[in-house]
Amino acid sequence: MTAVSTDLEPAADEGRETEKKWRRRGLAALAILLPLTLAETSYDSVREWLHGDDLIARDVEFGQSVPFGGSEWRLADLRGGKAGRLPDHAFAVIATFAVTVGDPDLQKQWLGCKVILTDAAGRRWLSDFISGVGLPDGVMNCTSAIFSGAKKGEIITVGETFIVPEDAIKTIRPAVGLGSERPWFLRFQRPPK
Amino acid sequence: MNIRAIGNLLILATTVALSYGMQVSKPHYAELTAPIPVDGAVHDTVRARSFAVRLDRVVFARTLKSDQFGQEKLLTTSGLWAVVTTSLTATSTSTTVADGTWQGPTGLRYHQSERLGYRQDMPPHSIDPGLERRGLFIFEMPPDQIPGASLLVAARRFGPLDAQARISLDAVPTGADGQPADVLPQYDLDARL
Repeated sequence: MTAVSTDLEPAADEGRETEKKWRRRGLAALAILLPLTLAETSYDSVREWLHGDDLIARDVEFGQSVPFGGSEWRLADLRGGKAGRLPDHAFAVIATFAVTVGDPDLQKQWLGCKVILTDAAGRRWLSDFISGVGLPDGVMNCTSAIFSGAKKGEIITVGETFIVPEDAIKTIRPAVGLGSERPWFLRFQRPPK
Repeated sequence: MNIRAIGNLLILATTVALSYGMQVSKPHYAELTAPIPVDGAVHDTVRARSFAVRLDRVVFARTLKSDQFGQEKLLTTSGLWAVVTTSLTATSTSTTVADGTWQGPTGLRYHQSERLGYRQDMPPHSIDPGLERRGLFIFEMPPDQIPGASLLVAARRFGPLDAQARISLDAVPTGADGQPADVLPQYDLDARL
């Protein structure tokens, strides 16, 4: 009896050792697999968040042309005033950009094009329709520009109208976001007075 | 050996009991991701995440008159119409506020009426930061749902974990029978415009 038990013991010890080893390996695998699972399941959401929003500003000096979405963007004009039917303490603002078309596939490059105004406090205004205020001749909004069939090398003028409260008018800066460039967007310096 | 088996059984029983308890007490997914209420009173500015809302006025009427594409529309109801006038502002970015719900004293919820069709002062309200905008929410409900009711305003009808303004309507004057003190026989939605 004793002989048998002494024969068995090293084997049982060995079994316990291997079990321990595998347990440790399992634990180590968890440390790798859990973060991987998290990354895999959140990948789509993170990508959508990064590509769906204008998150990181790239500042552009006034008068400077910057490549963005396959074309060269330059702030042409920013002007505000009282015009059309506006609420009290509000101004109408028109921002226009001179864009030299590079990649003519605007439907792909400029998808989700958004022109906004931001102020010093970080507030953002989307373009608005103002009854009685239209865009100047030859200026089209971003969405129409996408379908305008502009050729490579052509210079088009893209503009939008906004309604902005009086307290923001002194610090507003126009910005442009394009689907193909998000999360980056261009934020233009105001024209000098 | 025996003690070990009993110990294992105990652990198993505890695990089963704990799991069962967790399962039956688990809140529904819709509850877990429900909108987060922000409370306020009539004439207070209630700040939700993306917008601020102030309830200015509630008018009760038996019939509503609305002008639609030049045609006069008279809407009757077996209950009462409540026309809620609010002032809305966006917090930091131009956005829309689309959902209004009347919550009766017992928790019954009445969504905004869709019988009026499209009107500019009806949801979805497009709002901008720093610019106050008048927005109507119109409900149709039995008269006993008025005392002790709240108005719920949210950016979207299904906005998981987004803020929802909850404005208590206790300040609405009611008569001895618990019904609103003054109910207009008819209210013209276009009279003031």
